[in-house]
Amino acid sequence: MSETPAVLEVRGVEKHFGGLYALSGLDMEVRRGEVVSVIGPNGAGKSTLFNTITGLYGPDSGDVWFQGQSIVGLKPSQITRLGISRTFQTVHLFPNMTVLENAMVGQHSRSRSGLLGAVLRLPSQRKEEERVRGKAREALSFFGRRLSGYRHEQPAFTLSYANRRRLEIARALATEPMLLLLDEPTAGMNPTETQELTDQIWRLRKDRGVTILVIEHDMRVVKGVSDRVIALDYGKKIAEGTYEEVAHDERVIEAYLGTKASA
Amino acid sequence: MDVRSWIRVGIIAGIVTIFLALVGLIGRFVDLNLVGEQVTFARLVLIAAPLVAGYAVTRPRIRAGERRALAPRDAIMAGAVSGATAGLVFGIAVVAADAFGIDRIRSVFLNVSQPLIDFVTFGQPPVVGAVILTAVSAVAGGLAAGLRVTPIAVRRPITTAVSAVLVLGFLQRIIPIALDQLNFERDWLYSRSIGGLTWLGAILVAGVAAGLSVLNARKGRDLRARLFSTREESTGVAPAQLGLALVLVAVLVAVPWVVGEVISQVLGTVLIYVLLGIGLNIVVGYAGLLDLGYVFFYAVGAYSTALLTGAALNTFTGSGPPAVSLDLNFYLAIPIVLVIAACAGLLIGAPVLRLRGDYLALVTLGLGEMVTVLVRSPWLVPLVGGPNGMRGVSDAAVAGFGFREPQHFYYLALGFVLLAIFVSWRLSASRIGRAWTAMREDEQTAEAMGVNTTRFKLLAFAMGGAIGSLGGSMFAVQIGSLTPQSFEVTVSILVLGLVILGGLGSLPGVVVGALVLVGLPGLLREFEEYRGLAYGAALVAVMILRPQGLVPNVRRSRELQEEERAQDEWALEKEADVAVVEGIST
Repeated sequence: MSETPAVLEVRGVEKHFGGLYALSGLDMEVRRGEVVSVIGPNGAGKSTLFNTITGLYGPDSGDVWFQGQSIVGLKPSQITRLGISRTFQTVHLFPNMTVLENAMVGQHSRSRSGLLGAVLRLPSQRKEEERVRGKAREALSFFGRRLSGYRHEQPAFTLSYANRRRLEIARALATEPMLLLLDEPTAGMNPTETQELTDQIWRLRKDRGVTILVIEHDMRVVKGVSDRVIALDYGKKIAEGTYEEVAHDERVIEAYLGTKASA
Repeated sequence: MDVRSWIRVGIIAGIVTIFLALVGLIGRFVDLNLVGEQVTFARLVLIAAPLVAGYAVTRPRIRAGERRALAPRDAIMAGAVSGATAGLVFGIAVVAADAFGIDRIRSVFLNVSQPLIDFVTFGQPPVVGAVILTAVSAVAGGLAAGLRVTPIAVRRPITTAVSAVLVLGFLQRIIPIALDQLNFERDWLYSRSIGGLTWLGAILVAGVAAGLSVLNARKGRDLRARLFSTREESTGVAPAQLGLALVLVAVLVAVPWVVGEVISQVLGTVLIYVLLGIGLNIVVGYAGLLDLGYVFFYAVGAYSTALLTGAALNTFTGSGPPAVSLDLNFYLAIPIVLVIAACAGLLIGAPVLRLRGDYLALVTLGLGEMVTVLVRSPWLVPLVGGPNGMRGVSDAAVAGFGFREPQHFYYLALGFVLLAIFVSWRLSASRIGRAWTAMREDEQTAEAMGVNTTRFKLLAFAMGGAIGSLGGSMFAVQIGSLTPQSFEVTVSILVLGLVILGGLGSLPGVVVGALVLVGLPGLLREFEEYRGLAYGAALVAVMILRPQGLVPNVRRSRELQEEERAQDEWALEKEADVAVVEGIST
């Protein structure tokens, strides 16, 4: 794998909130076409890592490179345009927009029609709207019947929990990402749904060539999808390797048991 | 049998009646006849609270998951008890007031007078009057309750008929004038001697209204489907829709000549506020940015129009030219005004980009207040005339046809309103509107999905400001002179109120909101003093009973209910599934 170039490089990133170090000197990289899982106990800095990569937080020091350019200091919308998209740990949809409109928002940075086009409804604008709608439908079709048909016109808040998670992934796909960050995609899903999503994450990589970085607590999912696993604790990388290597790493076991004991 | 709650509602209604009497809504309108000499506004107010109480206590309740409506006899009983309680409370207050001494109360509550007491006691001694009040209120409460439990096929025609009669009764200063203007014989409908409707007129109006209501119940769905079908597959325009459009255009064109000059003046002001509302709706309704300083754009539009079209300053010695001014044609000036207002929008938007919610509201309130200070300030006297203001604004004449006449102005304002509605509608249905909606629903997520929120916030402020400035321009044309009194914070509040009342993000809502909050006060001049009271009551009522607004954003309200039901069913199935799964795993 080492011959494929790194898509994402995180170099010595630190982020603290007051005295709390959410990330301290984290180094990691994700190579093209990989599925990498990030695991760690609660408060290990996993979501902070995602927020730092996508530009919601600026790091206190260190750098993040995406496809050979530093993306520190860019706005989240600019980073999305460059090709990183994400889902959120707690689902963040646009609840009163329809399912289709949610996905169409994902296409925002891939379209450009402005004020004049909107008011005069120029041919170019209409063509673009058609394209945006098509792309959004295509992104939704990834989940087959789950988000299809009459559901397109339903407001997002009427969806079931699992479908909200799926819609969030579809919306992220609609931004046409090269790197997709999934923050606990199976949280709250039942075993059948979890299994289904595990397969779909595989399919994303295989069919669409999307590179995926995923935070996950469910070890069966981690085992099922990951080429590589990175374990974090207190904002530091404590282990890295295949699922088997990391799962049997003493520090990882200690980190998890330690939290359990104190909880 | 929840007697306690019936009595509680009755007591509240009694207190409401006391309040209405104290503020003068009964005593001052003893002679305001609505129908004949029998149905007067004062009598209506006297029984209004018992009516509402009787209607309210009989609402179906949900107990243990079951919807329970009262049996008709129980319902009438409940209404009567509530009404009687209300009447009793008010009656006791009247007796107490009489015992205490009218003049002593009058020193605090100016509206309490002997004629008022005489009126509410029906000319009897106070105790007898209180008994009559209780009886009358009990009947009113019982009637309202009885109405509620009648089947909808009967209830709807009755309520429609009563409302139609009352509305026409209230419009007694307007409709007769319009009829006279049309040389329409109207003495059978409106009496010249007593003011309100005649009994014959009232009965005819009630009959027509009830008939229309029945017709609507039978054929309405079909008719509405033909008129308003928006299905995508229907290509071209249906004949029914074309007909509706033609009728609408004809009505819009004919209105000022039918209603006369005075009401055209009111309609012109309504249209100005519709323009302001459409602009603010972009900022608050589409983009979700609470702006309490919208008067800023009203002032920018008005004063820049004045300066660009060659208005003069009012000075002590007469008039003088402003420090900077052009003498442009009105229609050349408008694009420049729009650009100036859009730039002003960016100026307001830039410092508040990072603020949300309450903080944004406060800062915009301050920025809006700045404009009122600025136009009054000595510093800007050479430009805008300070407290003395300006005069001689262009009347936007086209080939010698001026628009200052109220009936002419209506058309000019209507033209700009239609243009603004068109632009606003196109924007909301585009990529830009989608980005605004996403931003309103969840700003951070919108940014993470690629929406440059900075840019779209500024765009909302600029577009909202530009459209609002048209309202200012129209105002300048309408009255031809400008003084700072017209640019107070109350304008911001009024516009925000009408946007919220109509329904955030809804264009028809803006029109309805402006008609209610600007048009009604203009029409019902005799209630001028109660404007604030009515305004507050209307907003509170809408926020409680219909928080989405009078004409809410179409799509959402249409789907809401059935979707919720479908979702409930789905949730039940899901619970069953989960139970099964849990059963397996444990």
